[in-house]
Amino acid sequence: MNDSMMDLLVKALLDGDQTQAIIEVGKLREAGVRRRQIITDGVEAAMTQLDAKCTVEQFNLLEIMLCGRAATGVMKVLYPLGAPPLQTKAAVVMGTLEGDVHDLGKNILKMVLTAKGYRVVDCGKDCSLERLVDAVEQEAPVAAGISGLITTIIPQVRQMKDKMAERGLGHIKVIAGGAALKQATAESLKVDFIAQSAFDGLHYLDQIVGVRHE
Amino acid sequence: MNSIERIKAALNFKQPDRVPVIAQVFGHAAILAGVALGDYVRNGELLARCQLQALQFYGYDAVFALMDANVETEAAGSILTYRTDQYPIVKSAVLANGTDLNTLLPPNPWQAGRMPELLKAVRILRQEAGDSVLVVGCVLGPMTLATQLLGIEAALYLAIDEPEQFAHLLGFATKIAMRFGVAQIEAGAHLPMVFEPSASPEVIPAPFYREFVLPYLNQVFTTFKQAGSAANWLHTAGPATPILHLYPQARVDLANIDFCVDPLDAMQALPQTCLNGNIKPLAYVEATPEEIAAESSRLLKLFANRGGFILSSGCEIPPESKPENIAAMVTAACQEK
Ligand code: B12
Repeated sequence: MNDSMMDLLVKALLDGDQTQAIIEVGKLREAGVRRRQIITDGVEAAMTQLDAKCTVEQFNLLEIMLCGRAATGVMKVLYPLGAPPLQTKAAVVMGTLEGDVHDLGKNILKMVLTAKGYRVVDCGKDCSLERLVDAVEQEAPVAAGISGLITTIIPQVRQMKDKMAERGLGHIKVIAGGAALKQATAESLKVDFIAQSAFDGLHYLDQIVGVRHE
Repeated sequence: MNSIERIKAALNFKQPDRVPVIAQVFGHAAILAGVALGDYVRNGELLARCQLQALQFYGYDAVFALMDANVETEAAGSILTYRTDQYPIVKSAVLANGTDLNTLLPPNPWQAGRMPELLKAVRILRQEAGDSVLVVGCVLGPMTLATQLLGIEAALYLAIDEPEQFAHLLGFATKIAMRFGVAQIEAGAHLPMVFEPSASPEVIPAPFYREFVLPYLNQVFTTFKQAGSAANWLHTAGPATPILHLYPQARVDLANIDFCVDPLDAMQALPQTCLNGNIKPLAYVEATPEEIAAESSRLLKLFANRGGFILSSGCEIPPESKPENIAAMVTAACQEK
């Protein structure tokens, strides 16, 4: 395979240039490169580079959004019917709870996780706890992610683990993120992990599913 | 000194009798009065009554005619979902379904959606308390309103893909902000606070702020000053340190700083601008009165030499906060010499 062709895809993704990224994917496919490899060496590689660039002080949201959009575009070209790549690492269910409209963070997390090979089940914003737990039951994810930016949803967060345990889902991890939840501790929220950023959450998930970090 | 004189002294870096204290009590006033939040945000008279009750209970220096972040977008045609115990949320944003911006007219504040109810609240608050206490209205800043009209992600992508279209949208949002704010001043508000969370560096980088947000904010604040606003109050939540030094270019007189901003950085960035802040919002829910009192005196000491300070929360005091925590902040300001 032609390494420099893949590099061009990675570059287009990092530039947030969706059109160029899709052109590069076309070229790679013509050269006979498999879809799976384009995901691993192209999309995931671009995300890894972005991850390394994004520290707490240096976090450019627009850059991530553009890269995420380009990556999503590439996935759509590769899997037009929306069928997920064959071997996803694991599923993650996520949502923003009832009464909370802030969904930018959740959507970014979704793009990052999808581009890193997770199958994301997005329950959307203003989602009831019941619906989120239903989704966890149906999808057998490795974790449920809650994004919370207003403190009024904290009581709902605290019930999540118990509600899951009632249905025998207590072994599934619950992770939380977003401005309101970041102000609290994991113990006080009764969750397994509080992520400071989308990449922080990614690292935690990778740890659970046993992906080694380069 | 009454509250207004005290705040004016702080704004002008003069010596007030004590540091003013503004608790950003919005929906909490409903909870305190045993009123459903869903009713509070739809009824101007009820809102004003709850605000007056909270004022009497806490004895701070300002009241707010503020419903939620969706008043303007609803008046322009967005559909909201209302709930009994929560702020409403946007169910479908007016421009999200492909509606052409050119077919929209800026809403008339005396007629559209809940705008007239908010103006009613302003009028009552001014009548009942406005001789001595600051009556604050609220408009969304152009950037935030743009994100509320179109949806935040779509708006950000538009800014990058079609900057001219985005500027057009900001222009429209600016018109709405100016009309609504001027109507609030006419109804009796001492000033309309400009609520601009979507322009936070948490969301957009500083160069974007300089190019897209500043010029429009400047227009809004210039218009408010001409209409008789007592001061230009800008409220941007989140880690705003990278953009603070730009505020004077938008004619900001009073800058809100959130809990994640270091007050020393803010003082340095804005040596001649009055600051308000910056106790952590969640602390009013989770901390003890002693902790709030300690944090308040830390801030009062920090600003003692400089002046130009109003003790406050970093953002909205969460509706479900413990009253004794809010009271502890007010007491701290009243006791500090
Ligand atoms: C933009 C914004 C808005 C926009 C939101 C638009 C939208 N559709 O999302 C608008 C203007 C609508 C808005 C409205 C309101 N807002 Co607001 N808003 C903000 C602001 C400035 C930025 C939020 C944001 O988008 N950040 C960018 C994203 C990308 O960051 P993020 O969500 O943290 O996500 C990152 C990580 O946290 C992580 N992450 C997020 N979730 C998750 C989940 C998991 C599982 C993982 C692993 C990671 C993860 O991934 C992301 C990338 O790293 C914050 C300030 C702040 N400090 O955050 C206030 C803030 C969230 N808002 C606040 C408030 C009070 C409100 C209102 C209630 C105001 C009002 N009185 O009407 C309303 C809420 C109405 C409602 N029912 O929800 C408060 C909440 C405090 C509180 N009391 O609880 C904040 C914190 C400001 C403050 N300091 O007080 N707001």
